[in-house]
Amino acid sequence: QSSFNWKMTNAYGPGSPFYVEGPGSPIDFCKKVEAMSDGRITIQHFAAGELIPALEGFDAVRSGAVEMNAANAYFWAGKIPAAQYFTTVPFGMNFQGMNAWLYHGGGMALWDELYEPLGLKALPMGNTGVQMTGWFRDPIESVADFQNLKMRIPGLAGKVYAALGVDVKLLPGGEIFPALERGVIDAAEFVGPYQDRRLGLQNAAKYYYTTGWHEPSNVTELLMNAEAWASLPADLQEIVKTAAMACNLESHTWCEANNAEALRDLVDNYGVQAQVLPDAVVSELKAATDTVLAEFAAQDEQVKKVHDAFMAFKAEHQAWAGVSEKPLYGLPG
Amino acid sequence: MLPLIKTLSDGAHGTVRVIGNIAAWTGLALVLLVAFNVLSRYLFSFGSVALQEAEWHLMAVAALFGMSYGLNQGGEVRVDIAYARFPPRLQLAVDLIGNLLMAAVALIIAWLCIAYVSASYSINEGSPDPGGLGYRYLLKATMPVAFALLALQGLAMTGHSLLALLHPHPNKS
Amino acid sequence: MPLNEILALVMIGAFFLMLLGGIPVAVCLGVTGFVFGYAGFGPFLFTLLPARVFGVITNYTLLALPLFIFMGIMLEKSKIAEELLDVIGFAMGGLRGGMALAIILVGVLMGAASGVVGATVVTMGLIALGPVLKRGYDTGVACGVICASGTLGQIIPPSLVLILLADIMGESVGTLFAAALFPGLLLSGLFIAYVLVLGLLNPGALPPIPAAERAALSRRDLALKLLRVVLPPIALIVAVLGSIIGGVAAPTEAASMGALGSIVLAILSGRFSLPVLRDAVHGAFITSAMVFLILIFAQPFGLAFRGLGGENLVHDAFGMVPGGLNGQILFLMLLLFVLGFFLEWIEISYIALPLFLPIFMNAGVDMAWIAILVAVNLQTSFLTPPFGWALFFLKGVAPPQVTTGDIYRGVIPFILLQLLGLLMVFTFPGLALWLPNAIGW
Ligand code: NA
Ligand code: NA
Repeated sequence: QSSFNWKMTNAYGPGSPFYVEGPGSPIDFCKKVEAMSDGRITIQHFAAGELIPALEGFDAVRSGAVEMNAANAYFWAGKIPAAQYFTTVPFGMNFQGMNAWLYHGGGMALWDELYEPLGLKALPMGNTGVQMTGWFRDPIESVADFQNLKMRIPGLAGKVYAALGVDVKLLPGGEIFPALERGVIDAAEFVGPYQDRRLGLQNAAKYYYTTGWHEPSNVTELLMNAEAWASLPADLQEIVKTAAMACNLESHTWCEANNAEALRDLVDNYGVQAQVLPDAVVSELKAATDTVLAEFAAQDEQVKKVHDAFMAFKAEHQAWAGVSEKPLYGLPG
Repeated sequence: MLPLIKTLSDGAHGTVRVIGNIAAWTGLALVLLVAFNVLSRYLFSFGSVALQEAEWHLMAVAALFGMSYGLNQGGEVRVDIAYARFPPRLQLAVDLIGNLLMAAVALIIAWLCIAYVSASYSINEGSPDPGGLGYRYLLKATMPVAFALLALQGLAMTGHSLLALLHPHPNKS
Repeated sequence: MPLNEILALVMIGAFFLMLLGGIPVAVCLGVTGFVFGYAGFGPFLFTLLPARVFGVITNYTLLALPLFIFMGIMLEKSKIAEELLDVIGFAMGGLRGGMALAIILVGVLMGAASGVVGATVVTMGLIALGPVLKRGYDTGVACGVICASGTLGQIIPPSLVLILLADIMGESVGTLFAAALFPGLLLSGLFIAYVLVLGLLNPGALPPIPAAERAALSRRDLALKLLRVVLPPIALIVAVLGSIIGGVAAPTEAASMGALGSIVLAILSGRFSLPVLRDAVHGAFITSAMVFLILIFAQPFGLAFRGLGGENLVHDAFGMVPGGLNGQILFLMLLLFVLGFFLEWIEISYIALPLFLPIFMNAGVDMAWIAILVAVNLQTSFLTPPFGWALFFLKGVAPPQVTTGDIYRGVIPFILLQLLGLLMVFTFPGLALWLPNAIGW
């Protein structure tokens, strides 16, 4: 077989910047692959809802009905719990650390080991970089402010907040705004300044906290059917890998550039208070995270293996980052 | 032959009715559950991820098992502009075809769902949210069952329209 | 034209033929989807069907559907709704169309509480159709008013359509909610004006309560009765709307306040009993399932349309449009209107909008304005025969003597009113853009 007409589904809806279109996005990836292969692979892209609902890509790729899916691996937490570590975990690693682990620290091998029995093959294809803690209607001064706070926050971070007294509310993306605006929830986490502004969250709450403890970076997953992947000749496999790597870089740099502008706009023009969570609050969150992650790792052999590898690499990388990156940030601007 | 068709169709019809009669109460459970979740969160800041997920679990079960019961109780919707002017026997023929096709489509979907459920079962799928409801494959397993039940209802209706077509009776029940 | 695109066209034709031949809607959708999908791309893509079905039955925002339907049925079974409309009819005195005006008003309020297409139409159909027919309304007029008022929920915020459009067009949900408010009220106003004019031109279609009957009821008794029957439903609407505005419930969950409230009302009115509850539970179950049956059986059709590359038909047509921004907008509106004859709105949005977005963005048009034009247009598509969702949903709850023909005939004037509303928003963009700018959303 010399030419391949593939389909890619996406967990995000049509038009969504970064997640669907724009520099380094999944649609951009499809275009890159087609151009690099001189049309030997064409990939037809379907945003969420066009062919299948948002979170059905895993099963669709596994069944072979579509060859590729773009999403975040932590969406598969109910199917394969250890997959979360290949998107992000609370107090995990930033863009540099995460990619260092995946590409050179044994992360990819673990990912392959996890997905191979399911007939799947994954590659990192994007990264939002550090995300924002979220939008709060009232300031957070101490961990006591979490008591009875109603927050939209999915995943493991939700469990951490719950341990500190937060009432976790699950809401689809579209209902975050009306719920936050009316005070049905007191706080909501989404992505970062550019994406959050698109949702209009600045009109619903004014306190915009940072540290990104819950998602220090966030990997976009290119999920492929392993048989389809194996059917590609070596040169085309290399093209797919290289295009995914290019998108990983391009999407992240795009976020860095656009979040800067968006945050300034939010602060200057919408009266948003951008603040860092108090240190005391962050250390309580860290303590709760350690408990939650320890419990999580204890549930499952696979999770434990990935968790231990992730944390070991993180410790080592952090030590290096502590003498390289960290002092750099402290330099006079 | 005809008495057999009648017995089978009546039996299938009765089965769907009994199951639907019970499943109908999921609707009330849904009302009470969502209201409880809203009020307990507002009044006591109490919320549970599992109870929130239970909302759409209940809706899924109600939607699935409601299909066959809805048909059982004569709830199908059609464009009757031409149909209303058809002679009775042509109407019965249209009914026969419609019911048979309904059974066929339902059966195909039921069959397609089996692979979907087994994919979920093979990895012991649960909720992606910590504290959510586990055993997601059980929820998914209701899909082939409900579509099989819908096919059964379709067949029962096919049998009844066949009988009506073959035995035009002045006081058909 | 590639074979698959021809198949997509034939599929649409076959669907209409079956539909007009009197085959149930769900069967038409399912059968044409499977047959033409299989002919075009074989069995493989249908492995995706269970995922689509699962997506429908677990769709969080659809929760409002069974909840509102439960509320509607409970109000119907406990006779609260019937009395309400009747008393309003009395209170309107000799004014023709008084009950129709009440229906529009309830549509606006329900619309402000919900944004799911089936929910309001079905609820309004349950509550209002019987009582106004009993009072001698023309069947077509009654159906038209109910369908049109029931779809107001799509444009009056909160609305599922607006949430999806916000996502596709890169506008914030809040901006679109604000932008949709005045156009939504404008449409309601047009409906009201139409009912008043119709009352003058065709008095027999929406008669007032007979004078003799009105005379038999003293003003004092009427006032008391009004207080007694109007207060409870108002309390219910306050419960639903109030729980959204007061920050008690998210828009979808708010429907549960209405459903729970309808039980409480039935108890307070002394009409609650186990048989009433059982009837309501069964009725709500069947009615919700009828809506879900159509939504579920639309999945093979939608999958086949996509799998056959049906969206390329739209692409091809788009290539032939003459230049000019107004030409493009006009074409978009026409396209949405035509697609509305046979596709559901989500499918339409996904197929048609991405084509146009780059053009409008490059031209610097305000996307909120475009979004509202699209929303009004999609709302019209709920009403366009033969495949307007609102029409089927109303048919599902209407008494047997109401035919699809009655419903089709009844909605036509309202479709024209919708188009008039669309033209006004097109001519005066400020209708949509003033409010979001004024409040800084
Ligand atoms: Na996030
Ligand atoms: Na609405």
